Amino acid sequence: MEIKEIKEKVKKLKDELKSKELKKEGSSSMGIALKMGTEFVAAVFVASFIGFHVDKWLQTTPIFIIIFFIIGSVAGILNVVRSSKMINKD
Amino acid sequence: MANPMQQFEVKTIGPKIVFGNFDVSFTNSSLFMVITVATISILFTLATQKKSLVPSRIQFLSEMTYEFVAKMISETAGSKARPFFPFVLTLFLFILFCNMIGMIPYSFTVTSHIIVTFALAAFVFIGVTIVGFAKHGLGFLKLFVPSGAPAILLPLIIIIEIVSYLSRPISLSVRLFANMMAGHAVLKVFGGFVVSLGVIGGWLPLGFSVALTGLEFLVAFLQAYVFAILSCIYLNDALNLH
Repeated sequence: MEIKEIKEKVKKLKDELKSKELKKEGSSSMGIALKMGTEFVAAVFVASFIGFHVDKWLQTTPIFIIIFFIIGSVAGILNVVRSSKMINKD
Repeated sequence: MANPMQQFEVKTIGPKIVFGNFDVSFTNSSLFMVITVATISILFTLATQKKSLVPSRIQFLSEMTYEFVAKMISETAGSKARPFFPFVLTLFLFILFCNMIGMIPYSFTVTSHIIVTFALAAFVFIGVTIVGFAKHGLGFLKLFVPSGAPAILLPLIIIIEIVSYLSRPISLSVRLFANMMAGHAVLKVFGGFVVSLGVIGGWLPLGFSVALTGLEFLVAFLQAYVFAILSCIYLNDALNLH
């Protein structure tokens, strides 16, 4: 009888601990927002950098930087979607 | 009033040393890197001096750090990443101690300079790429080709994937640098408010300063953790192609 009670209590406490841990992880939404921001900007930055240098090399000034800017935006969205998937998985 | 960006100035200590086109003089930044490495070495040497079954406080601390990082690696990158444990532990401890030593008043925060964080991130990026090629050979390039994509879209998708891959070191380094620099600048700005508002109005920004200091300690730990865990995730991509 007593052992059963203790087992129930342990189960209850464990569940409580689990829900507390989940809350803790979700609390740093500011960090998540900042992560997404850098993730997006970094891709745009890298792609534009590549486009700029391809233009400089081929002397076709606005064309490749525009193309790579768009590609960078797409890659940035891809990065954001991937990292949000990772957050949802946890 | 004091300039909030003054704390990030790099000053030369001792004589100026120039190698070719590079200025390699010893600066306050290098001094604090040396202090960081020395602190970590001393702490862990002391902790492992007396190995007892019932650990002392300092031994417990080092064991906890070890287990924390070991768990992080096995959870994100699996058992194949075991050989990279020393690297990840070193990376985590270096960033953590740089951030924490930067919180001491009058000290210098090494990680608030993008060149330092970028060097760390570039090292991780190049290392992970080499590991990927060493493990899978040219098969590593499959990372850029998602399975099930239509053949017509492949050229575009591959370029996008490559850009996404190349953006990793940038986002990794900018995140750490921006967090550290912004936090320290904000602390200094609120400190300046306390001085300029005087005894009457200075209490509110003083309260903010105290709260922000607490937040900064959290950020210092969290950013070191994020840097280490993202390195593990990238390592996982290279070790187990998905």
